[in-house]
Amino acid sequence: MKKIVKDKLPSLWEQLSSQATLFLPVEQDGVVNFAPWEEGDSVNLEALNTVVPPKNVVFPQTETYMRFKVENDKLHIEPFEQNGPYVLFGARPCDVAGITLLDKVFLQEPEDGLYSRRRREGTVISVACNEPDAACFCTSFELEPGMAPGADIMVWDMGDYLLWKAQSEKGEKLTGSVENLLQEAAEEEQKAAMELKERVTAKEAAAAQEMGWDPSGVKETLKDMFDSDIWEQFFRRCLGCGICTYICPTCHCFDIQDYSKDQEGGRFRCWDSCMFADFTLMGSGENPRPTRKERVRQRFMHKLCYYPSNFGLYACVGCGRCVRKCPVNLDIAQVIKEVGGVKSGSE
Amino acid sequence: MKQLAEIMKDIAAQSLSRGEVDLVIGWQKGPLWWQSYPAFIEGNEGNGETGSLTWDSFCVPNLSRYLLEELPERKKVALFVKGCDALGFNQILQDKRAEREKVVLYGIPCTGLVDPDKVESAGLGRGLLEVKRDGDELVFVYDSGEQKAQARDFLYDKCLTCRYPNPVVYDQMLGEAAPVQPEERFESVQELEKMDADERFAYWARQFSRCIRCFACRNACPACSCRECIFDIPEPRWLGKANELSETQFYQIIRAYHVAGRCVDCGECTRVCPVNIPLQELNRKFIKDINELYGEYDAGVDPEQEAPLVTYKTDDPAAFTES
Amino acid sequence: MAQNNLLLPQVAVVEEISTETSDIKTFKVASQGGGSPLEFLPGQCAMLSLPPVGEAIFSITSSPTEKDYLEFSIKKTGSVTNFLHEIEEGYQLGVRGPYGNGFPLEMLKGKDLLFIGGGIGLAPLRSLINYCLANRGDYGQVDIVYGARTPDDLVQRAEIFDNWPRASNTNVYLTVDVEWEGWDGHVGFVPQYMEEIGFAPENRIAVTCGPPIMIKFVLEGLERMGFKPEQVITTLELKMKCGVGKCGRCNLGDRYVCKDGPVFTYAELLNLPPEY
Repeated sequence: MKKIVKDKLPSLWEQLSSQATLFLPVEQDGVVNFAPWEEGDSVNLEALNTVVPPKNVVFPQTETYMRFKVENDKLHIEPFEQNGPYVLFGARPCDVAGITLLDKVFLQEPEDGLYSRRRREGTVISVACNEPDAACFCTSFELEPGMAPGADIMVWDMGDYLLWKAQSEKGEKLTGSVENLLQEAAEEEQKAAMELKERVTAKEAAAAQEMGWDPSGVKETLKDMFDSDIWEQFFRRCLGCGICTYICPTCHCFDIQDYSKDQEGGRFRCWDSCMFADFTLMGSGENPRPTRKERVRQRFMHKLCYYPSNFGLYACVGCGRCVRKCPVNLDIAQVIKEVGGVKSGSE
Repeated sequence: MKQLAEIMKDIAAQSLSRGEVDLVIGWQKGPLWWQSYPAFIEGNEGNGETGSLTWDSFCVPNLSRYLLEELPERKKVALFVKGCDALGFNQILQDKRAEREKVVLYGIPCTGLVDPDKVESAGLGRGLLEVKRDGDELVFVYDSGEQKAQARDFLYDKCLTCRYPNPVVYDQMLGEAAPVQPEERFESVQELEKMDADERFAYWARQFSRCIRCFACRNACPACSCRECIFDIPEPRWLGKANELSETQFYQIIRAYHVAGRCVDCGECTRVCPVNIPLQELNRKFIKDINELYGEYDAGVDPEQEAPLVTYKTDDPAAFTES
Repeated sequence: MAQNNLLLPQVAVVEEISTETSDIKTFKVASQGGGSPLEFLPGQCAMLSLPPVGEAIFSITSSPTEKDYLEFSIKKTGSVTNFLHEIEEGYQLGVRGPYGNGFPLEMLKGKDLLFIGGGIGLAPLRSLINYCLANRGDYGQVDIVYGARTPDDLVQRAEIFDNWPRASNTNVYLTVDVEWEGWDGHVGFVPQYMEEIGFAPENRIAVTCGPPIMIKFVLEGLERMGFKPEQVITTLELKMKCGVGKCGRCNLGDRYVCKDGPVFTYAELLNLPPEY
């Protein structure tokens, strides 16, 4: 393992951004989000979660993929892609896990070329969490706040320095390119980091347990709960906004739209939300999910029942963003708790 | 405040069991200290759920807006209203989206609500179990004990400038009137007015560049009461779905214009925004302009009062097209 | 360059447009160099692109045995279809696909087939009917019950009136919802007519497509006639965008209609949430 002293981080940003687009958690008006780093940006590595997860790096909110031109009756189409290597620095372990859940959707057959190219071109550096938030419950999904197996490089914040461990070929390569800024880590430093990691995991797991945020069994219970009254108690307070879906590291629904000036333009895909009224509205005017009740049910069933049925894992990483940001506290942790309660109640 | 919560529970149980209303909308406590969310209690005696009603420093969601969805399905609805909820209710009434006789209002005098972000920023969030209000103070409860602080330091900015902490409309008032001591609400607007047009454009461009187009600002707003919002109509799609600054500006400017003269200044738009866009500041610029152009007007205070931007007068001295 | 960008259409040409009814037209689409732009199975769909208006998905109504073109019967319902109804022959559009599972051809082999269609719902059935008639030896008796609101709303008139009734061991039963001047055929709703004629379920598969309300009554009628849910096949229509099971719009339980459907047996549907 290596380490980098924090004084050298500005040099690291400069060096990384000279070889690739460097995404870092950047603070603006009190909001921390991942953005391509520019000289003078206020980098915030302490903020636990960015408002928007770094899914927008691998799956941009808006992504033009085609240009077109209509001339008389002739149609010209050409692919449009913004290529280029990038480094994502500072993704938390839950967010890295979120990306691996997106992988399952986009990389399964037929493979999504736009997504897989972005995944290939990127190197992901994850920063371990030393102090999880009250809303964090990644341990409920067998994740560790101090470890991201899906990251190319894992970094632990040890105060004056970051402990640095390459975990993949891409990670090794990037490590080699900034070797001038790194030092070898002493054995006791590595040991301290691993001890910290274990402590943090145990602490968060205990807190999540106490809150009743235990999803085990929920996917089975939910199979018989499509018609349950439980959705009645959830949906009424839902505002029908898209906060939960857009800040969720695993939500991946998208729309496809054209834009044009005269007869020339482009086609893009963009995030969409199953919470929106027009998401399933058909041209005929029919809507199979006409009210917030069906939409709220769909969102939680998808995360906790349908996705697991297809991929064996819950589509939630316990990042706690919806717990923090839903304006009416209709979050997945509460749903897990309530649904879990139904199971034990019926036994 | 504990007392008030008890009164709320009793009154809700009473009006449900007597069949006076078939739905009570109030607030309920969630599992975490900052979670107090809208509660919907129905049926005879509320199925025993009236006991879950709460009143604490986090009952911030404006409940008036829920009438838009709930009222058509119900005979009569009881609503607990803070000052800002009552203003929202009156606006919905004025916009002809609710009938007064179908609603029972229980007024709650409000001494300001706590902004969880301010608690976190002060470093008081770790291990926090509960926040209690004790007069002008807040009591932060931890496993290890309690800590007190001045409540005013932790209230939402919108509460610090609130001019109507006591409901302007109610059928029954619960509790003593709260003191009215608002700070100047147009201070940040005045700062914006000092900028030249380019600076102001840059300021709002920066704010709007963070917008993720979740529409929470619209969906939380008691003045956004259209049956179908223009931005939800798929064909023709007026607002492009690309998250680009020009589209966002189009959305945000239309939104602000559409609530101009009807915005009750409840500040829910700013509270719900996940990326801290100061939307209330934009709305207040409109309020300030309306006050200066047409005389002082507070939307939501009196639903019978003529609203400045929707009142047509044949003797209007200004031509329609005059800029 | 694009690497396996699934969403990128190829340019194709509208070779022929025929007017079926007041709001339905059939479009014959071929590659720029001629020939069908895609290889597909009956029941599969394709996405048609009309920049700058957008894209929409349609079932392919021609049979895969027809190698020179794809056909789509399209009703005016929204911006893309409205635009399609305005274009003229020779217009270029984008095509991508094929999408979906298609009809279970192996399961149909050797069986008697009962097709029940309503209005524009004949479109996907027609692909299969013509496929079966082109491979006549593989299938038993073919019965087609098809109806529309009025005689003017019936589509593919040459086939329903002439070609199909003339095919061997094939019956066509037509009906319209309301009495109509000049119509001396059957009057009544499709589901009732189907039951009036009566079909034995033995060794028979029923395939139905039409408006949701028709499908609902057809399924009930088939059950009364003794058809098991495994013997009944239908196609679903939900809003779709990507066509490849990723955009999430047509999610139905753990299935994606664009990829795992649109063809389902009634038995499969009974295990899915009723959100269609």
